[in-house]
Amino acid sequence: MTRIAFAIGDHAAGMMVGSLTALSVRWIVWPGMDMVIAMLLGMVAGMVVPMMLAVLLAPLLGMFQTMIPAMVIGMYGGMLFAMRDAMGAGSSSLGGATAVGALLGAVIVLAISAYDRILRGTVIEAGD
Amino acid sequence: MEESAQKKWDATSRVFDLFTFGDERRLGPHKRRLLSKIRGETLMVAAGTGSDFQFFPPGAHIVAIDISPRMLERAAPKAAAYSGKIELRQMDVCALLFPDASFDTVATVCTFCSVTRPVAGLREVHRVLKPGGRLLMFEHVRSRIGPLGVFLDLMTPLSRLIGPELNRDTVGNVLRAGFTVTREENVYLDIVKIIEAVRGGAS
Repeated sequence: MTRIAFAIGDHAAGMMVGSLTALSVRWIVWPGMDMVIAMLLGMVAGMVVPMMLAVLLAPLLGMFQTMIPAMVIGMYGGMLFAMRDAMGAGSSSLGGATAVGALLGAVIVLAISAYDRILRGTVIEAGD
Repeated sequence: MEESAQKKWDATSRVFDLFTFGDERRLGPHKRRLLSKIRGETLMVAAGTGSDFQFFPPGAHIVAIDISPRMLERAAPKAAAYSGKIELRQMDVCALLFPDASFDTVATVCTFCSVTRPVAGLREVHRVLKPGGRLLMFEHVRSRIGPLGVFLDLMTPLSRLIGPELNRDTVGNVLRAGFTVTREENVYLDIVKIIEAVRGGAS
């Protein structure tokens, strides 16, 4: 039960972080902006803004389980959304941008959970 | 004793339980599994607010130290509620006031991310452990996964202001202090780990 609750919480947090990243990028990047500058701005916004949300959620969901996905979503999502917005290829509405952000957040949380399952367990055992 | 570290942890003690609420529920079973291995006279380094006392097996005798008197004040009711005996003492792990070879087990939970001189602290732990004594650690370390490691490096200057460092090489530090690592387990990615080590025969 607790595991399911945390899994739901992780995905909800990832979706919030993804949406917030997409919205913050939409706010600072406009169509026609230099792509490199847009991606750098997107990366910085994607690291700072969602990290504040992650700090708020960490007491509920656990420090690392919140911070690590938030960082990956923010950093890569920030660059990706900035690239789309600079090219004018992003979602036309704010709602659309929010939904795409949420989708990316959920997918990244899922990928990190899968990677965690691969890495989890004994690395060194005496006698190996 | 490092006064700046003491002040930092005194201040953090007010919100410590709030920030570790989720971690306790999520990582608690892993901590309980590790701490069930304590044997004989046991030293817990960095008791904090005592939130990890619940994971000790019942009936043990534990000396729990912390650098922060405010943390120990908050830990006192939890120590009193424990079914065995927990003796709280204010002490810096880098200058332990115990004779050589005093303990059978030393336990740490998210401790060596915060000790200013981790190898010096671990050498002190090595000194107070009996030959063959076990070091049981539940720690978070720097990830070896490229972008995650870099992120933890970037976050450390901020996290250091209120609490721990996020990019420690604790497994390496344990080896540098003279221990033999007998077991390493990833609990979350390659960041949160269980590390078990033993002190060899020579000091």
